[in-house]
Amino acid sequence: MGSLKPVGPDQASDQSAFGFVATRTDWLINWGRKNSLWPMPLGLSCCGIELMAMLGPKFDLARFGAEAARFTPRQCDLLVIAGTLTWKMAQAARTIYDQMPDPKWVIAMGVCSSSGGMYDSYAVVQGVDSILPVDVYVPGCPPRPDAVIDAILKLQKKIEREDPLGRLLGSAPPIGSESGSGKLQFQPNFGHHKSGLDKHAHDPKARQAIGDPAPRRTEVKP
Amino acid sequence: MSEQLTAPRFAAALEGLAHRVVAHPDGAAIEVEQAALHDVLRALRDRAGFAMCTFVTAIDHYPREPRFQLHHQLLSLEHRDRVRVQCTLSGASAPTCSDLWPGANWMERECFDMFGIHFTGHPDLRRLLMPEGYEHHPLRKEFPHHGIEPDKLYRDWDRKRREGWTETP
Repeated sequence: MGSLKPVGPDQASDQSAFGFVATRTDWLINWGRKNSLWPMPLGLSCCGIELMAMLGPKFDLARFGAEAARFTPRQCDLLVIAGTLTWKMAQAARTIYDQMPDPKWVIAMGVCSSSGGMYDSYAVVQGVDSILPVDVYVPGCPPRPDAVIDAILKLQKKIEREDPLGRLLGSAPPIGSESGSGKLQFQPNFGHHKSGLDKHAHDPKARQAIGDPAPRRTEVKP
Repeated sequence: MSEQLTAPRFAAALEGLAHRVVAHPDGAAIEVEQAALHDVLRALRDRAGFAMCTFVTAIDHYPREPRFQLHHQLLSLEHRDRVRVQCTLSGASAPTCSDLWPGANWMERECFDMFGIHFTGHPDLRRLLMPEGYEHHPLRKEFPHHGIEPDKLYRDWDRKRREGWTETP
């Protein structure tokens, strides 16, 4: 479906002669939403620095209408999780997400928030999609501001395909607190990293607790 | 540093206190028994000029018993000297030194958080890094580096706050 266009016998003539334009409502709503994203910057580590550069004059996110970063989630509709999310911080991140009014979108910026990244650790959430739905993932450690701008453009494409009226009238699935593309289930990477080199898990009880009772390494004799 | 450790001021400072000087590639250290630890630290502070405690940490020698060895790194600004005091703990508790150096307060809290060593006499022995309510001590050797149910506290919190919620379309 196209853009705003004048209606009348002669469409190329002066629009003011007709005084109105016609368009599809869902197109108009999506057009408004995608071009006025208000990001909530959740800068948790070095990605936050790149996020600040992106909002600044050099990369100039204002070109895409998303420069109005607010530090209260009540005024935002785009949550940018920029950096390493720990399990201790996860409660705060989820609270911020819940405080944002619908409709809302989430960008996982950087490998840490996308998958845990290099922090394959007990303290770090292995991908923020364990706790909230993510729309766009941005790789990089940290990603350049260009990459995040690209993510915002991709998110705009995604918003274009939404069906806001259908949701309102019930013909499209409703926005639930868990809508989105994230897996929303904690999936530790046991399969890939529990090897003979894992020198920490040599205690039978600890192995039992993580569901891997088979010894991978000879016990150290006192 | 090993020459400095045999200097008269150390001998005078530690006179009458059971200790042993052990050599290390990076210098020397004073090894003491757990019962004499607090007295030795006090003597080093008051009589040998070690006005700063720069680090308190532990080493887990699991599965060797006794498994924990407590380390205090001291710094003397006056003599431009450092010394390490190391102490093998019989259990998982040790006397605090936060009464000697107030700065040791948080270092002992971190040590308690990571190794589960209880510092007797500590004014406020709470976890420093891990969330309150966490059940494990991550730097202990039997702790797997992926953790044991790392999402447990979050899931409990999430389940509790969702009680009574109704999903609105």
